[in-house]
This record gives sequence, C-alpha cells and structure tokens, in this order.
Amino acid sequence: MTVATATGLVATVDVAHEGSAKRIGPRTDAADLRVWTGTPLRLALVVGRENADRAAASAAALGACADIVLTLAANGRESFIERATAIREADPDAVLIVAGSRDQNGVIDVVEALRAATAGRPKPPVVLIASDERTRARIAPSLAPLALEAIPGPTAALAREGIVARLRGMRRPAGDIVLRDEAVESAARAVAAADMRDTLVLDVSGASTSLALATPTGAVIALHSHLGVGTNADRVVARAGLDRVRRWVPRAVDGPALLERVFNRARWPDAVPATTLTLALEMALAREAVAHTLRDAERSGISVAPFRAARAIVCTGRIARFPRAAQCAIVAIDALETRGTTCLSREAPDALIAAGAIASRGSADIAGRIEPLAIAMTLWPRRAMTLTVSDATGTIEQRITRGAFLLMPTTGRVDLRVGGSAETASADALALGVIVDVRGRPLDLPQRDAERLPALARWHSALTALSSEGLV
Amino acid sequence: MSWRFADQRVRQSLPLGASQRAAVGQRVRAGEVVANGTTFGEPVRLLGARRLGVAPVDLPQVMRVPPGAELERGAIIARTGRRFARALSAPFDGRIVHVRANGDLEFAPVIDRWSVRAALDGVVMESTDWAITIEGAAWAIQGVVAYGPDAVGELTLAVDGRADELAPSRIDVRLRDRILIGGGRSAAEAIARAHACGVAGIVTGAVPAAGLRTLFGDEVSARGAAPVADTPTVLCLLGFGTSQLPAEVFSPFLPLVGARAAIHAASVRLFVFASSGVMAVPTIAPTLALAPDWGAVMPIEGSASPAHEVTFTSEVVANALETAVGTVPTGNLRTLEPV
Repeated sequence: MTVATATGLVATVDVAHEGSAKRIGPRTDAADLRVWTGTPLRLALVVGRENADRAAASAAALGACADIVLTLAANGRESFIERATAIREADPDAVLIVAGSRDQNGVIDVVEALRAATAGRPKPPVVLIASDERTRARIAPSLAPLALEAIPGPTAALAREGIVARLRGMRRPAGDIVLRDEAVESAARAVAAADMRDTLVLDVSGASTSLALATPTGAVIALHSHLGVGTNADRVVARAGLDRVRRWVPRAVDGPALLERVFNRARWPDAVPATTLTLALEMALAREAVAHTLRDAERSGISVAPFRAARAIVCTGRIARFPRAAQCAIVAIDALETRGTTCLSREAPDALIAAGAIASRGSADIAGRIEPLAIAMTLWPRRAMTLTVSDATGTIEQRITRGAFLLMPTTGRVDLRVGGSAETASADALALGVIVDVRGRPLDLPQRDAERLPALARWHSALTALSSEGLV
Repeated sequence: MSWRFADQRVRQSLPLGASQRAAVGQRVRAGEVVANGTTFGEPVRLLGARRLGVAPVDLPQVMRVPPGAELERGAIIARTGRRFARALSAPFDGRIVHVRANGDLEFAPVIDRWSVRAALDGVVMESTDWAITIEGAAWAIQGVVAYGPDAVGELTLAVDGRADELAPSRIDVRLRDRILIGGGRSAAEAIARAHACGVAGIVTGAVPAAGLRTLFGDEVSARGAAPVADTPTVLCLLGFGTSQLPAEVFSPFLPLVGARAAIHAASVRLFVFASSGVMAVPTIAPTLALAPDWGAVMPIEGSASPAHEVTFTSEVVANALETAVGTVPTGNLRTLEPV
C-alpha cells in the first residue's frame, strides 16, 4: 500500500458518500484507502446500579459510533421474559456489560435472559465484559456458549479507547477501510497539531455526525452518532421530533409535508437539494443532528463545554459542501451554540477527511485542505460595547448590543479587538469575515411562527446565508 | 427493484417461545403455518439442580421433559432415581422457558399463542428457534419500505390507472383477504378502511408520511415501524407523498391479477405465485426522479438530453438531465433494476 507522508508518496483515498464515492489522490486505477461509515453496530448495554456505569457504557458507545438498541440495568425490575423478549427484538450484534462486584447477581440474570433470547441465532452477539476478575469469573458460566471478551472498565479514558477500538473493529468490514469517524478524529489531531491550538472537527454527513475535539498534544475527545442529513435524516426526526427540525426552516411549512420530504430524502442516497427549501431542510437537519449528538454526550457524563468553546472549528462533510460559506458558518454556530471566539473553517470537498484517513495510518499533509471562513465571536455584554476590526481596507468600529447577529466582511488579514476587554483575535484572509453573535445562550427560537420566521430571516440575511428565492 | 421471476429466499424471524417448526426440506405454501409457539406470562424460578441434589451439568440426565416442554400443574420435570427420590414438578400449567447455568429453571405460564405463516411458496432451508428460511421461485418486485406484518392473499386491482389514488369508496368487505394494487398513492384513510374490511395488504407507489404516523404511531420512520398488533400491511414501491407508478411497474400487475401473492415486510418484497410464462419481463428499466422539493417520486418518461452542469435555485451546482418533467439533478434520478 502507498503510505503517505508530507514529503513522500501521496495515498489515494476513496471517500464514500451515501450512494457514491469521491476519489481524492493521484491514482485513477484504484484507491489505497477507503473511507466509509462502516457497518452499523447494534449494541446492547448491560449496566450496574451505579450511574457511572451507565454513563461510561454510553460514552464508549458514543465514541465508537455504535447504535444503542437496548439498555438493561442489572438492578432493573423487568422479569426474565421481559428481558429476553426485549433482547430478542433488539437483536444486538454486541453486548457491553459494565458493572461492579455488587451487581454480580443482577448481571447473571440479564446474561441468562441474553442466552435464552439468542438461542439459535446464526451469529451470536459478541459479549464484552468490563468488570473485575471475580465478577467476570462468576458471570462466565452463565454465558456459555456465547463468546466472552474481557475488556478494561471504560471509566478510564485509556480503557475507553480500547473498547472503542474493539467496537470499531466490528464495524470495519475490510482492512483497507478507514471508518469515517476514525478519519475525523485523525483529521482533528492533525489540524490541532499543525495549528497548535484546540481544534474541533465537526462532520455532518448523510449517515453520521461526528465531533472530534483534539488538543495539540494529540488527545482527542470524540462523539459520533448515526444521525445525518441524508439516509439517516429520519433518525434525526425520530430523535428530535419534527417540530424541532421544522423550527429551523425559515419559511412556513406544514409538518406533514416536511415529514414527506425527510422520509424521501432518507430513502434517496445522495439526493441533491435543488431548491432553497430542501437546502434549508438539510441545514435544519444538520443543526439538530449536532445538537442531539451533544445531548447524548451530556447524558453520558461527557462535558460538552470544551466542544462549544473550541478555539478552532473545521466543518467537514455535507455541511462543508453547502453552496455558500455562510450556510456552513450559521449551521455550525447554531448547532454548537459556540462560546467565546472561534475560527471557523471548512474543508475543500472531502479533502480533510481523506487526509484524516491517511493520518490514521501514518502522517498526512493538511496544507491547502481547509478554507478559513470567519472569526465567530459570541458575546453577552452587560451594556453596549464597541468592536474594532482592522483589515486590508482599514479599521471599522462596530457598536454591539444584546440580540445582534451580524457579519462584518473583511479583506486580507484581520485583527479584532473588543472594547473594554483584553480579548483580541486575528486571522489571515477569511472567506466571510467576522461574525458577531450576541443572541445569547442557550439560543432560543420563538415558538410562534409569527415571531420565529422573522427572527430566522433576520439571522440568515445578516450572513446572506439563504437566497430569498423559493423561501417566500 | 423492478419485476423479475427468479428463485427467492426469505428469512422469517420467530418470536421467543417457539414450540413447533417446519422441518428442513419441507415444502410449504405461502400462508401456511411454519412455526408456532407461546407467549409467556410472569415466570418463576424453580430450584432445579440444587433441589435435586445434582450438579448443574448433570441436570439434563435427570430431567424427564426437555427444556421448552409445556406441562400441566404437578407434572414431573425432573427426578433423581435414588431410593429416596427427589422430584421437581410444575407449580402450575406452563412451559420450561430456560435452564440456567446453575441448574435452576425459568418456568412461565402460557398466556397466548402465536404462529408464523410462510411468506413464500418453497422449501424450508433452515429451521431454528431464531428463524425459518424458505427458498422458492416467484415473481417478485422490491419496494422501498414496508409496514405491518407479512400478508398473503389474492392480488386484486383496486385502481383504474397507474397514476390513480386508492379510493376508500372502492374498498369493501368483498376484498377481504386480498392484496390490493393501490396505484400511485394510497392515503391513510383508504389504508385504514381496507384494514377494517379485512384486506390483507396494499401495494402502492407512495404513502403520505403523516398518514403513516396515524396508522403506525409517531415512532414510524422511513425504514418501517415497530411491530404492533393489528396494523395494516403496506408496501411502498417508490417512496412517500405522491407518486405515479411507471408503466414498467404497473403493467405487469395486470396479467398477475387473481394470482396468489405475499408481502414479506422484512425484505420489503411482493411475491406473486404465478408461472414464469404468464408474462414477459419488461425490457426497459424504469427511471424515477425525486421531485425538486423532495415531496414526490415520479417516473421519467420520454427522452432525456445528456447530463450537463446546472446551477439550481439553491445555488447547488450539479450534473443534470433535461427531461419531460424539467431539469433534474442526476443525483435525484434512479433506475429500477430487477430484484
């Protein structure tokens, strides 16, 4: 296989989309690596009585992009039959058991139900047990003939990585495949190391959503879910509810009609949003996909504050391919509810994901794969303040009050100063300029259409994010 | 996704508690019971090996009935053959659900019975407590999504044309146990009426998504719905919203009317049990287009000019075809190939 280095040969990577693939690299005959979402992994969790057990198991699933199809508590009140029926219907590919020594009897009850439920299954589920050796030894006889794998407890970060690697291995059908979530993490690591600052790679594709926050030292916290704007668009609606998706569409559209569009999109891989309305729907789905992935993280005990306050955000996947850079920016800001000052960028189509795939096997050059879009500044000042922006055309002072959301277009190098504070920011040429967000956090959208639609229209027009054609 | 006569294979999952299953090699007809079993009530745990004074591994040797056996109250489950015998008997009418690793038994009352019917004429290839697999030859067409349980019945035309919507007024109890060909669109009202009239299932181009929520609950998705008792069976051939069946999809229904058919919901296929010579396979694979607003799926008919790059109103730039229904991005076109 061709191994890519910054100075040597460049690997060719096929980046799979929903129903097609794009080749990035010099070769035309074949690719060295393939980036793919991976085989969906249906994961059942069996957790102990401690909240930490449940959170740790959920966090491991979130890190491995596994679909949690069932969670059973060792101290649950379900009967043997109820548990066995639930497992049968959930039909998991793998079972992750995270429990302490106090949960031995409860776990044995669940495991017996698991054995009864999966009798006759052609491919029995893989059972991963994260518990102490004594507990494992007591549980093991109840599992036979199911295969058991001992894994470290996922409460420690290193151990969680081990579990994630094992679960990912089950999603990877071939050796030359780099899972998209792996590529996103490697890309985040590479960009953070190159820029020497904490970097969040925000990837929203048709089938998945990933957030990978990397530090310059190489540490990564990652969240992955099978929520997307394409083939998994219906999952976003199922999770968020139709109204939460609809609220982001800057036009009065009735729920049933919107649901039809979402369902058709889910069954139509790589469909093109030819109208402004369908593009606005994709943007709405992307916002909710990210928001719900973050919500899953919070439920798993992962702090999402560092994701919202990342110094640099690079958008990849479908959101990076929106026709206007402002569309990518507004989706990222709304979905993440960014805090502080952030440099927003987007990848050249599939380029950073391809680089991430290469980086996951060696080292990759990321130069020229990212387009800086804007400096996004989120503020909530007590009283009106002044923002000073200097660029190649001169210096502009902008008065900022609560509720404002505006774009200050810039040319060339940008320096930014906030009046009354020591906060400054600077960047080289930006595609958009400086986005000032004083809408407050959490970002609340009015409930009633009569108030919500003008607010959305104002925000979109502030960034020139949507053409009015097709929306009015 | 278009019509084809070929060997088909279906795998039918079984619920927990199978009692009887068709044997491997057995020939079955669609609609015949291939497995039956019981639904369990609240189970009790019986001390097995411990009560009998045997090691858990030795329990099978002293059991008088196998796991899964249905017993009357007081029936002997296991008994040691020593002089001072120890016995384990059924505390109530029920079934042995499971033998635990420690030699205890889960014993539960039977509160209901279920059966699974074959969705294909053919031969049983695999038979386990998990699933029954059947193979057989049939005409088949693949849909995009199916809702409800499997259905078997006589194929009946319920519309006049491929663009027609299934009208509730055309449905009555005389269509009981039939599978209706519902044209381009079937709304929730027509599906609900058909279900109330005892219609086995409906094959249609598209169903309004909101109507599906009415019929199958708010959890319904573009991939199907959670199994719930007493729901209609609907096979969507093209998508959601509105549609018009392509002639290559609709015309083959006409010679198949009156034949036995089955909808296998898990694999989203309609099988029709007619001879291979009843019609010729359509030679042209129909092309479908997703409407610009994604609210409908329509067939592309007539000629189309070659692809070229177009900037759409969303400002997305994509290759597109000039067709009779307008300029369509190639990404929004799909050809229905045979199953």
